[in-house]
Amino acid sequence: MNEPKIIGFLCNWCSYRGADTAGMARMKYPPNVKIIRVPCSGRISPELVLRTFREGADGVMVLGCHIGDCHYSTGNHRTAKRMPVLKKLLEYTGIDSDRLYINWVSAAEGEKFSTVIKEFTEKISALPPFMETMK
Amino acid sequence: MTDRLTSVREIIKTVLPGVDGVLALRSGPGGIVAPYLFSKEHPEELAKLAIWPKEPVPDTLKIILKAHPEAKIAIVCRGCEERGIVEMYKHAQFSLDNVTLIGLQCLQDEAEFCRCAKPYTVHAKTTIGEPIEGVPDSLTDKIAAMSADEKLAFWKQEFEHCIKCYGCRTICPQCFCNICALEDEIWVETGRLPMPNPSMYHMVRAMHMTAKCVACRECEETCPADIPMAVQFRLIARDVKEMFNYEPGAIMEQKPPQLLVLEEGDYARTGLPH
Amino acid sequence: MIEYENVLTTCPYCGTGCAVHLQVLDNKLVGVLPAKNHVISKGGLCIKGWNVHAFVNHPDRLTKPLIRKNGVLEEATWEEALDLVATKLGEIKNESGPDSIAFLSSAKCTNEENFLLSKLARAVIGTNNIDHCARL
Repeated sequence: MNEPKIIGFLCNWCSYRGADTAGMARMKYPPNVKIIRVPCSGRISPELVLRTFREGADGVMVLGCHIGDCHYSTGNHRTAKRMPVLKKLLEYTGIDSDRLYINWVSAAEGEKFSTVIKEFTEKISALPPFMETMK
Repeated sequence: MTDRLTSVREIIKTVLPGVDGVLALRSGPGGIVAPYLFSKEHPEELAKLAIWPKEPVPDTLKIILKAHPEAKIAIVCRGCEERGIVEMYKHAQFSLDNVTLIGLQCLQDEAEFCRCAKPYTVHAKTTIGEPIEGVPDSLTDKIAAMSADEKLAFWKQEFEHCIKCYGCRTICPQCFCNICALEDEIWVETGRLPMPNPSMYHMVRAMHMTAKCVACRECEETCPADIPMAVQFRLIARDVKEMFNYEPGAIMEQKPPQLLVLEEGDYARTGLPH
Repeated sequence: MIEYENVLTTCPYCGTGCAVHLQVLDNKLVGVLPAKNHVISKGGLCIKGWNVHAFVNHPDRLTKPLIRKNGVLEEATWEEALDLVATKLGEIKNESGPDSIAFLSSAKCTNEENFLLSKLARAVIGTNNIDHCARL
């Protein structure tokens, strides 16, 4: 796939600031990820991820704070519980669960952010567009 | 089966005087079975007691207890129904203080019909029948062993038959939300059949059944399109057992993972990066 | 004393006639259950069948005949209402002929009620303009 469409849900307090850090240090990473800022990664419900795929996203990223560092103390616990089960459900339905990516990026980890974006974009580029596989 | 029926009847007779009613199944016109509250005021109804097919009694218990919170109710329930009741209690749908569980153990052919791994009760103090070993769920195993492409084709074909009757949602003992996400236009499109692929309705339902599904199979039995959606719920239940060491309805005191903060051990089992 | 039972009946909505149980708690309709071992519906119901209980006690449901007087709907008796309908239908038939009136029947009616309506249409009014909601 030449230009995959990837949506990245970034939590306001850690991963979004990590993206800022990457930007300010002028680190390079592919432009395919459209970033949506949310208050906490725990806000990302499975319905939201599924709808994102249905709207045409080829890959979805959910980046939150490291466990123990959540601004709302246990918000990312919800992410850690719900997202792995969603990955399993994608697998059980026959959808490549690699299309959903979950990781923890802190505000200082600009380099990790750009690496994660690069690697995920490469991985999704090697897959067919999501809606093609649904036909 | 007749022996079991007589035993259930005898136990109900002894329990009846001390409670406001015993919730069990009654055979109605034409032999059609439905839940019924047997009471001491109408002992003649006991002649019409039935025990098969099983019916969604946990939800009925909730309806009765909501209207009469102080009522003393005894309920004849199978393993899955007992699990359903315990899970509803854990989610604060009613109190079990005045509820007496009468456990009915399933027979081999009943367990095979439901592909049930645990066709027996664990909490009820009064029981009828001997617990038998569960049967393997061959349908779930068969579908789990399919390749990704086969699975995609299989579920696409199955979900295409869905007529959105919402029966699986309505009859599920664990579906008690006042505002259901499946009725929200944002997640489930209205006015479109067959539902576009991937089916939001079924996938959202499967996610919401995480750590709640008690494997009663009422959803599959009421589905007019014979969609085997319980297969997905059971596959997820296996993961929930592995990741969070939680089985819905098994241990009364164990809180569901949705209500708990993650412990270190749980976190490691989710497979997420550290 | 608490009374709970399921009353077996037929769904009124379409011609399939699925069996449905009306859940009755203390003489009030509280919900619906499918009839699992019924030979025709086998425990299935469509979305309309699952909601049969919703219209029975709905606040919008008409409970008395209403006649529009001076632009406002007012409660009336059955005699008043039926007299008005008979008079008006007679007037329309005389002015514009019997074929200016059409009759629309319902899947919720019994066969006998549908027969009566077709008698009213054909024998009393004198038109063949009778059809059924299932054809809409």
